[in-house]
Amino acid sequence: MFYVEIDGLTKRYGASTVFEDIRLGLKQGEFVTLLGPSGCGKSTLLRCLAGLTTADQGRIRVDGQDITTLAPQQRGIGMVFQNYALFPNMTVVENIAFGLKMQKRSAAETAKRVAEVIRLVELAGKEARYPHELSGGQRQRVALARALVVEPRILLLDEPLSALDARIRRNLREQIRDIQRRLGLTTVFVTHDQEEALTLSDRIFVMNQGRIVQEGTAEAVYTQPASEFVARFMGSYNLLSPTEAGRLLGVELKGHLAIRPESIRLCEPGEQYSADLGAPLRAIIRQHQLLGNIIRYQVETEGVSLQVDHLNRAADDLLPVGSEIAVVIDRRQMREVH
Amino acid sequence: MVADAVSARPRCLRYWRAMLLLVPMLALLALFCLAPMGWVLAHSVQGEHGLSLEHFWVILGSPFYRQAFDNSLRISLYSSVIALLITLFGAVSLRRVDGRLKNAVIALTNMTSNLSGVPLAFAFIILIGTNGALTLLLRQWGWLQDFHLYSRNGLILLYTYFQLPLGLLLLYPALDALDDHWQEAAALLGASHWAYWRHIALPVLAPALLGTFILLLANAMGAYATAFALTSGNFNLVTVRIASLVSGNIDLEPNLAAALSVLLVALLALVAAVNQWLLKRSYHAR
Repeated sequence: MFYVEIDGLTKRYGASTVFEDIRLGLKQGEFVTLLGPSGCGKSTLLRCLAGLTTADQGRIRVDGQDITTLAPQQRGIGMVFQNYALFPNMTVVENIAFGLKMQKRSAAETAKRVAEVIRLVELAGKEARYPHELSGGQRQRVALARALVVEPRILLLDEPLSALDARIRRNLREQIRDIQRRLGLTTVFVTHDQEEALTLSDRIFVMNQGRIVQEGTAEAVYTQPASEFVARFMGSYNLLSPTEAGRLLGVELKGHLAIRPESIRLCEPGEQYSADLGAPLRAIIRQHQLLGNIIRYQVETEGVSLQVDHLNRAADDLLPVGSEIAVVIDRRQMREVH
Repeated sequence: MVADAVSARPRCLRYWRAMLLLVPMLALLALFCLAPMGWVLAHSVQGEHGLSLEHFWVILGSPFYRQAFDNSLRISLYSSVIALLITLFGAVSLRRVDGRLKNAVIALTNMTSNLSGVPLAFAFIILIGTNGALTLLLRQWGWLQDFHLYSRNGLILLYTYFQLPLGLLLLYPALDALDDHWQEAAALLGASHWAYWRHIALPVLAPALLGTFILLLANAMGAYATAFALTSGNFNLVTVRIASLVSGNIDLEPNLAAALSVLLVALLALVAAVNQWLLKRSYHAR
């Protein structure tokens, strides 16, 4: 029995189907991510959950209660929008207190609850500021505090980090996850960013063209992509056609062969390898990219181009373009996808 | 240094070129706005024996002129408020209806904004005058008893009509300031439709609403041709009084007319100043 159940949900706009027959369940206190490219229907699904968009078919249940036809006001769901959606005519405190004001809570209770969430999202000292006087990260924290203060049953996050710069995004996502764990709040997060999904989620639902194409833990979705689409979408997978796979590894396949860049190793002279790994292949380095702690090489072997991630251990680790090397593909990590 | 001097020169040139383009407008403004205002101001304090405030005392002491201000203010105020409300609802609705209907309404509004003055008065007379087509029809159905187009209520109706296109023209783009996500966020926090308008939308729109209201008020206070054509100058309005003092055969008193004009401008300036004061106290000024 799930805390949140979505059963056969379908949404169409005229002849075009946004999503069809969506079925998913969320456990209480779980952090779930809807991950997919733009236009896959993930945000519309989130809006249906919030009651901002009406589904054409299917049911939504929360804690056993059918909320499919309830107005947003009656669902007990909090939401954080991508563009913050803060009320520009209200200060930080007024924005946060708005939900409690609508619930006609006493002034003393409102002040106490607002002070608590301001502490929780680390906005002390900014209470009297207006939204336009805050940075993007601070605005999103106000939006989070505003959604949390009314103690929602579910928290919905619609790409809340995409308008922020990389450093603030990293800090804020850690903070969101920390707060969610502390409050034990059932949370649905929508993003098109694989890294965010992998970092934050207990479970990920990968969506494409209005359908859930894979669900599982972050590790499962990343290491065992169920389809070519997921393999391509989840990151920098090497996807070899059946012909390329046959030429390189001598295997006969019907689908593509997915190999993660980190499961290909660069051979160092004299290095011994486990028998489980394949035989070393001669390769030439065509390109390299320094990604901080990782060096990403583009190597060519047997006419096949491969991406190889190598841990950047020392300053002299970088191999020059044109170097002849050998690579070993960990066959245990290869996966056939269709 | 050299680079600075080179980049400073085109900037300077651009500045003077921009200033040059302003010249025709400034010249027109000076000729047809500032100069007449200066003339009016100078003549308003021109008494029989030199500089004097006697015309102002005449106006303030005369029940007839006070009635003209009272009528002008009431008609302008009522028609502006009614037009503001109608255009606000209209603009909100237009943002939600489909594109073709929206374009048609806006095109119609732009077209009707040109129907004013004597043709507008004539249109109203033949439609809802004493023997107007609609008046006769409504009387026949028993829906209309004592409506007179040539009364204050008739003028309010007429003024409201010509205020609508201007109101819509000013308010419609202002509604773009509203983000639909605010209403959704408010709904998720438990706010009703009305609570959203009361706590968020109306305060955000306040500058646009106040600004539009002031322009409508000024538009109505300054209206002359329509009212004159409809009532043949028999309804006591400030603009009708000014016209009769300037062009009348019996009571030709241009200096008194100038004093009336100065009071009219001062009244509108006062309303605009209150508007500015209110805006400065709101979050918009932060």
